[in-house]
Amino acid sequence: MSIAQIIAPVTTDSVEEALLEFLTERVKADVEADQDLFASGLVSSMFAMQLVVHLEESYDIAIVGQELKLDHFRTVQAMTALVLRLRRASGVTTDA
Amino acid sequence: MHNHSSFISEPLVNEQALLGELVGDHAEAWDLAMELPADMLQKLGAMGILCAEVPASFGGLGASSQHSGELTAYVGSLDSSLRSIMTSQGIAAWAIQRFGDRDQRHRYLGDLTSGDLAAVGFSEPGAGSDLAAMQTRVKRSGDSVVLDGQKMWVTGARYADLLLVLCLQDDDAAFVVVPASAPGVCIEPVPAPLGCRAAGHANIHFDNVQLPAASVLGGGGQSLPMLFTTALSYGRMSIAWGCTGIVRACLEAATEHARVREQSGKPLGQHQLVASHLADLLISEELCTLVCEHASQSWQSSSPDMVIAAVLAKQVSAGHAARSASTAVQVLASAGARDGHVVARAYRDSKVMEIIEGSNEICQLILAQHALTTV
Repeated sequence: MSIAQIIAPVTTDSVEEALLEFLTERVKADVEADQDLFASGLVSSMFAMQLVVHLEESYDIAIVGQELKLDHFRTVQAMTALVLRLRRASGVTTDA
Repeated sequence: MHNHSSFISEPLVNEQALLGELVGDHAEAWDLAMELPADMLQKLGAMGILCAEVPASFGGLGASSQHSGELTAYVGSLDSSLRSIMTSQGIAAWAIQRFGDRDQRHRYLGDLTSGDLAAVGFSEPGAGSDLAAMQTRVKRSGDSVVLDGQKMWVTGARYADLLLVLCLQDDDAAFVVVPASAPGVCIEPVPAPLGCRAAGHANIHFDNVQLPAASVLGGGGQSLPMLFTTALSYGRMSIAWGCTGIVRACLEAATEHARVREQSGKPLGQHQLVASHLADLLISEELCTLVCEHASQSWQSSSPDMVIAAVLAKQVSAGHAARSASTAVQVLASAGARDGHVVARAYRDSKVMEIIEGSNEICQLILAQHALTTV
C-alpha cells in the first residue's frame, strides 16, 4: 500500500488544502474549511467512512476505536486536526 | 485499509479443498435439518477460515479481500448457510479490528481465530434500516456496563460464543461484545427461515446483562452511522462474493442438466429458449465476478470508493443470484423443484440475500444518492 499522495510537507495548511480539493472534487461543490459537512447536507454519514479511508491512506495513520466520532469528520478543520494529532501520536515525523 | 504486515496473500487453495471435503454432499441434508454441524464450524473457526482476512499478526490467515472473496464464493456455491456463518464471523472480526482498542483486538481476534464463533446483532423489532429507531442501549454502572434491548434475525446466533451487539450509548453508539452464555441473554432461534436455513438465525433478548467495561469496543462513544456502515461494508463484500457463488452453482447445475437431458430428440441446451437461459446465466456469472473483483480491488487499495463499490457489488450480485436461481430452477424443472436441491436452495437463499445487509431498495437509495452528489 503506497502513500504516494504525500508529496508536500504535512502541515495544517497542506492538509486543509488537500482535503478541500478532495472534497470539492467528490461532492462537486465549493467547500469551506469550517463548514459543517453533515449539517449542510453536502455529504452523507456514509461518506464519513470514505473520509476515514481516504485520510488513513493519504497520511499513513490508523483511525480506529474512539477516534471514529462523527465530530472528527464534521469539518475540514476538524479532520486536519485529527490527522496532525494522530501523526504526532504515532511518531510520524512532521516535516514542517 | 492497513494490513499491518508485509504478508503477501495467496489464493486459499488448501482451505478451499478442505471446505470441499467437509461440505461434500451434505449441504442438502443440513438445509433440510436446518442445522450445521457445530464441530465443523469450530474446526473451521480454529483454522481462521471463517474470517480469513484477519491479519496474521492477530492469528488470522491474512487473506486479501480478493482471495477471501474467492473462498467465500466457493462456499457460497456449496452452501449459503455456511457462507452466512463466514459473513457473520468476518463482520465481527472486521468491526473488532476497526473499533476495538489494542487489547480488545488481540484478545477477541485471537478468540475468533481459535474456534470461538461470533454473531452480530443489528436489526431490532422496530429498527431495520431505520437506525434512528434503535433502542438497545448500553449504560455505564461503576466499573461495569449494563446492556438492555433486543436484536432480531441475528445470523449464526444459535452457534455463537460471542455476540457483537450494535447499541446506543449516551448520545452516541457502540459495539459491545457479549458472551452468549452471559446471564440475561436469551437466544430464541427463528423457527423456519425462508433461506440460509441452517445459518442459525435467532432473536436475542438482553435483559440487564452485566458486562465488564472492557466489553465495549474502543470504549464506545462512536458514531452510529459510522459503526453501521463500517461493519456492513464488510458484510456486503462477503454477501456479494457469496452470491457470485450462488450464480456459479446455478450456472453449473443448469448447464449440466441442459447438456444431458433430452427432449424431442435433442439435448435441452439445443432448444433455443433453454439456450437463452444458459446465456443469461453465463452473463450473470461473469458480471458478478467482475463487480466483486472491482470492489475487492477498491478495498485492497484503500480507495475511498470502497464503500460504494461494496454496495454496488452487493446490489448487482444479489439481484443476479435471485434471477439466476429462478432461471436455474426453470431449466431443471422437476429435477430441481425438490427442497434441498442446489437450485432450490439457491432460489430460497438468494431471495434472502436481496433483503439482508441493505435490501435492494436501500442499496438503490444509497447508489442514487451517490449519483446525485458525484455525477
